[in-house]
Amino acid sequence: MAHHEHEHERGHIGPATYYKVFAALMVLMFLTVGAWWVEGMLNIPRALGVFIAVAIASTKTVLIVLFFMHIKVSSRVTQLYAVAALVALLFMFVITMGDYFARGWPPELGPLP
Amino acid sequence: MATTTSTSSSHAHADHGHADHGPELQHHFSTAAQQKEAATLGMWVFLVTEVMLFGGIFMAYAVYRWAFPDIWAEAAYHLNTPLGTINTVVLLVSSLTVALAVSAAEAGKRTRIIQLIVVTMLLGLAFLGLKAYEYSEKFAHCAGYSTPIEWVTNTNQHAVYECLVPGQAFLFPADKTTGASNAPTVAGQPTPYQLFFLLYFIATGLHAVHMLIGLAIMSYLVFITWRGTISSTYFTPVEIGGLYWHLIDIVWVFLFPLFYLVH
Repeated sequence: MAHHEHEHERGHIGPATYYKVFAALMVLMFLTVGAWWVEGMLNIPRALGVFIAVAIASTKTVLIVLFFMHIKVSSRVTQLYAVAALVALLFMFVITMGDYFARGWPPELGPLP
Repeated sequence: MATTTSTSSSHAHADHGHADHGPELQHHFSTAAQQKEAATLGMWVFLVTEVMLFGGIFMAYAVYRWAFPDIWAEAAYHLNTPLGTINTVVLLVSSLTVALAVSAAEAGKRTRIIQLIVVTMLLGLAFLGLKAYEYSEKFAHCAGYSTPIEWVTNTNQHAVYECLVPGQAFLFPADKTTGASNAPTVAGQPTPYQLFFLLYFIATGLHAVHMLIGLAIMSYLVFITWRGTISSTYFTPVEIGGLYWHLIDIVWVFLFPLFYLVH
C-alpha cells in the first residue's frame, strides 16, 4: 500500500497562484469587452469578432480548469475526464453542424411558416 | 493524525484498524487519498454531463446565429451590456474566493473557510440580484413601463413599444437606435428575433438555477465546516463543491460574450 500512498502525493496550488490566475482572468475579461468595443467602430469581418470572443473565453476556461479546478495537479484519470468533456462537445458540434451544412444551412431567408 | 474518538461508530470499527484515520473514511476505500480521488473523479463525471447539458444550448445558439447573424446583432443590442460586464467580474471574484476557501481548507483554517464561502455566497446573491433586475426590466417593458421601479410604483405607464420576452406578446422594436419606435413589428409575430431571446432566457435561466443550487451547496459547506467536519485531513466536500462553482463560472464566461458582446 505504501507505493499507492506515494502515488497520491501530487503538486499543490497555493493562494499566490490563485491571485495570479485571477489577475489574468480580469485582464482577459477587459480584453474581450475592449475587443467588442473596438469592433463596434472598425468594420472587421463578423466571423473574426466571434473567433476573438470565443478564443478569449476558451483561454479563460483553460486557466480556470487548470488552476482553480486543480486539473494541472490532478490524477491522469481525472484529467482524462476533463478532456472527455471537450471531446464530447466537439463530437456534438462537428456532427450537428456537418449535418446542417450538408442540408444547405443557412436556409433562404424569408417569412417563417 | 486524528485519534479514535469514543463515538459509537468508532467503537463498531475498533476491531479492523480504523485507529489511524478519522471517522470520515468509508469502509469500501482503503485510504483517505483513494476516497478523495474517487469523490473528485465522480464530481468530474457529473461535470461532463453538465457541460453536455449547456453544450446543447450552445449548439442551438451556433445553428441559429449562423443562420441569422444580422438579427443576432440587432437583438443583442437590447441586452444590458454594462450589467452583464459587472456580473462577469462578480463571478470571477467569486471563483477566486472559492479557490482561496479550498486553500484555507487544506490548511485547516475553519474560520477562514467560512469567511471566504460567505463572501462567495454574497457575490453569488449579487449576481442573481443583477440578473433578476435585468429580467424584470424585460418584463416591465412588456407591461408598458420603462423600468421595474416604475412598474412596482405604477407610474408612467405607456403603450407597449417593445416586449422581448418570448411568447404571444413578443414585440421587437423596428428602430434599434431609439428603442421607442412608432412603427413596431407585429405583436406575436414568429420572427428569428424571438429565437435570440428564447435562447437568452433559457441559457441564463438555467445558469441562474445552477447558481441557486451552488448557493445551497455553499450554505451546506458553511454548516459542515462550522460543525467541525472539515479539517486539514478531510476537506473533500469543500474541494468538489468548489469544482461545481467553477463550472458555473465557466458557463458564464461563454454566455457573456455570446449574448452581450455581439456585433
